[in-house]
Amino acid sequence: MNAFLTTAIFDPIRIPLDRWIADFVNWLSFNYRPTFQAMKRPIEVILQGVDGLLQATPPIVFIALLALLAWRVAGPKVGLFTVVAMTLVGMMGLWTQTMTTLSMVLAAVLVCVVIGVPVGILAARSDRFAAGLRPVLDVMQTTPAFVYLVPVVMLFSIGTVAGVIATIIFALPPLVRLTNLGIRGVPDDVVEAAEAFGSSEREILFKVRMPLAMPTIMAGVNQTIMLALSMVVIAAMIGAAGLGVPVVEGLNALRIGVAGIGGVAIVLLAIVLDRITQAIGEGGRRGRS
Amino acid sequence: MIHVDDLTKIFGPNPDAALCMLDDGHGKDAIREATGHVLGVNGASFELERGEFFVIMGLSGSGKSTLLRCLNRLVPFTRGRVLVGPAGEQVDVGTASARELREIRTRRMSMVFQRFGLLPHRSVRDNVAYGLEIQGVARSEREARSEEVLEMVGLGGWGPSRTSELSGGMQQRVGLARAIATDAEVLLMDEPFSALDPLIKMQMQDEMIRLQRQLGRTIVFITHDLDEALRLGDRIAIMDDGTIVQIGSPERIITEPGTAYVADFVEHADPTHVITARTVAVDLDHERVGVARRVGDVTFHSHVAQSDVEIGVDRDGRVVEVVADGARARIEALDRVLEEDAPAFRYRDRAVWVRGDATLRRLLDARTYVNLPVIVQDEDGRLIGLVTERELIHGIVEKRGHGVRSPAASASASAPRPLDVASVEPHAIGRHA
Ligand SMILES: Nc1ncnc2c1ncn2[C@@H]1O[C@H](COP(=O)(O)OP(=O)(O)OP(=O)(O)O)[C@@H](O)[C@H]1O
Ligand SMILES: [Mg+2]
Repeated sequence: MNAFLTTAIFDPIRIPLDRWIADFVNWLSFNYRPTFQAMKRPIEVILQGVDGLLQATPPIVFIALLALLAWRVAGPKVGLFTVVAMTLVGMMGLWTQTMTTLSMVLAAVLVCVVIGVPVGILAARSDRFAAGLRPVLDVMQTTPAFVYLVPVVMLFSIGTVAGVIATIIFALPPLVRLTNLGIRGVPDDVVEAAEAFGSSEREILFKVRMPLAMPTIMAGVNQTIMLALSMVVIAAMIGAAGLGVPVVEGLNALRIGVAGIGGVAIVLLAIVLDRITQAIGEGGRRGRS
Repeated sequence: MIHVDDLTKIFGPNPDAALCMLDDGHGKDAIREATGHVLGVNGASFELERGEFFVIMGLSGSGKSTLLRCLNRLVPFTRGRVLVGPAGEQVDVGTASARELREIRTRRMSMVFQRFGLLPHRSVRDNVAYGLEIQGVARSEREARSEEVLEMVGLGGWGPSRTSELSGGMQQRVGLARAIATDAEVLLMDEPFSALDPLIKMQMQDEMIRLQRQLGRTIVFITHDLDEALRLGDRIAIMDDGTIVQIGSPERIITEPGTAYVADFVEHADPTHVITARTVAVDLDHERVGVARRVGDVTFHSHVAQSDVEIGVDRDGRVVEVVADGARARIEALDRVLEEDAPAFRYRDRAVWVRGDATLRRLLDARTYVNLPVIVQDEDGRLIGLVTERELIHGIVEKRGHGVRSPAASASASAPRPLDVASVEPHAIGRHA
């Protein structure tokens, strides 16, 4: 009865949105595929560069350097944890995949920073731009990743680069938001003082707003990294390499052990990156208060 | 150094209608009601000399900060003119291009803020050097300069610290150092000391006085603190609802408040540091109070109410002799008497003299040691008049010279007095008049 009512009410006013979307994406991919393929290039270059470097670095050297960084910015505990975590990852036989995942995350975050920080600054300067940007960010952040995997594959085909692109879309919004927030949050009296000493717009941006907003921007970078890591498994479903691969394989073949170590490695990497970036942000904040 | 002409600021998107209303004589409230625009500053005009210390006072919301910010166009003004710079090379702030404006702000005017406005991510030294950095001064030079200026404001050695490690008073001195470092001729200061406790405030005021003497900057200074204004200002401007209602020397503002608002404002001021002997002294040439007799070249003046004390002056008007109770008294400078280790209490055998600009405070001190009227002389030693107990008390209580006596003045101390500026005698003039 209820089912009958539903069709009776909605069938006459049904909109074929599914077809429209399909047509639109088809049209895009038919006409602009070369353009989208060209957009892959810079990301591919960054990715290969970072991955090449990480893969070529001997694990001992890499662990030592990362631990040193962690120790310097976040203290001895985090430094020690880094050594343990990264060694464990290697002992589980996932070193290569971890480096690939790390390079994907770094490439995605790099692109996010290059796009997100300037966009966030623009949003902070113009209320209208910010208002227009907001729904776009909302859509980017709330659309489930699986939904845009299909168009991403259609436009960029499958593989690690396509995975990075999906990651960028998903991880970008918090950085834009927090950059906007940080820049807007700079106290007016400090900006006014800088103005009173004859600073140009540019000088105010780079000598006042950016440094004062840095803790907030770093919080955005931290969130972007975490979101990028959470995309690792999903990216693997469209053929991206890295730690997502064992998880997806384990899922498909119901091999809980393989999926398990993939998951553990992702978590360990996430904790290390989180602690380090958080400490960088807080370091700035400590100086600020 | 600064020339301000009919400066008007109206806040809001469409100031034309508000300007029309203003020209038709409407006030701040009427304009706001009719147009929604806020009158910030209304037709301010004044001229500041190089090296002058100019204080702006007024109730909250009377437009002090707005006026100050118009001077370097942090607030773009609606009408009027602001010229800055030494005569001959004055720059029009209102019409300056963005580049010229930055030039004015980097080189000609610097500013100190009530809420400091320091950059928290920079060291004290780099904060002080900020203006120089914008000027494009090389790193080594600006570091040297900021150390030098920090030394000047008593913060030598604090250069590498973070500003957050400093107390409020110290942070304010960093703000001051930053403003001084650029060598701008004009310092704009918006309630710079209001956040400080009384003791530090006092120290900072002394520092300001010292710095101004040392560096000769032209200073525009906002304060809520009347005693601070009286202490620092060469001239004081009092603002009410955007309008400057009176500009004058501290003494003049106190002794001749131009409106009831100003009178209210200065009601509780401590006049003893401001009012001068010249203002309160009774002029013995005046036929109502003076009696004179001549002995040879010397003319002996005395007060009708105290004819047993006679002041003898020569042909040039210089005091040469004082006779009390028929005996000659010694004549000494008050400064000398007060300098004595233990001034003796001598009453009627010693007369003291002061210059016309000595404050009531000094005269009160004098009262402790001498009983004869204090002789007030000008720079050349010529007699201006006498100050007896009567003039002293009148000066303190009524805050005016003896010549001003409006009928209601003594009726009520707290009610605003009706004003009778015309009755002020010509010699009752202030420091700058
Ligand atoms: N940006 C602004 N927009 C609108 N109105 C303003 C703005 N800034 C100041 N005003 C108004 O201008 C008037 C003068 O303000 P201003 O800040 O100059 O007062 P003030 O004398 O400095 O007061 P206070 O002693 O409280 O600092 C006030 O009525 C205020 O509401
Ligand atoms: Mg103010």
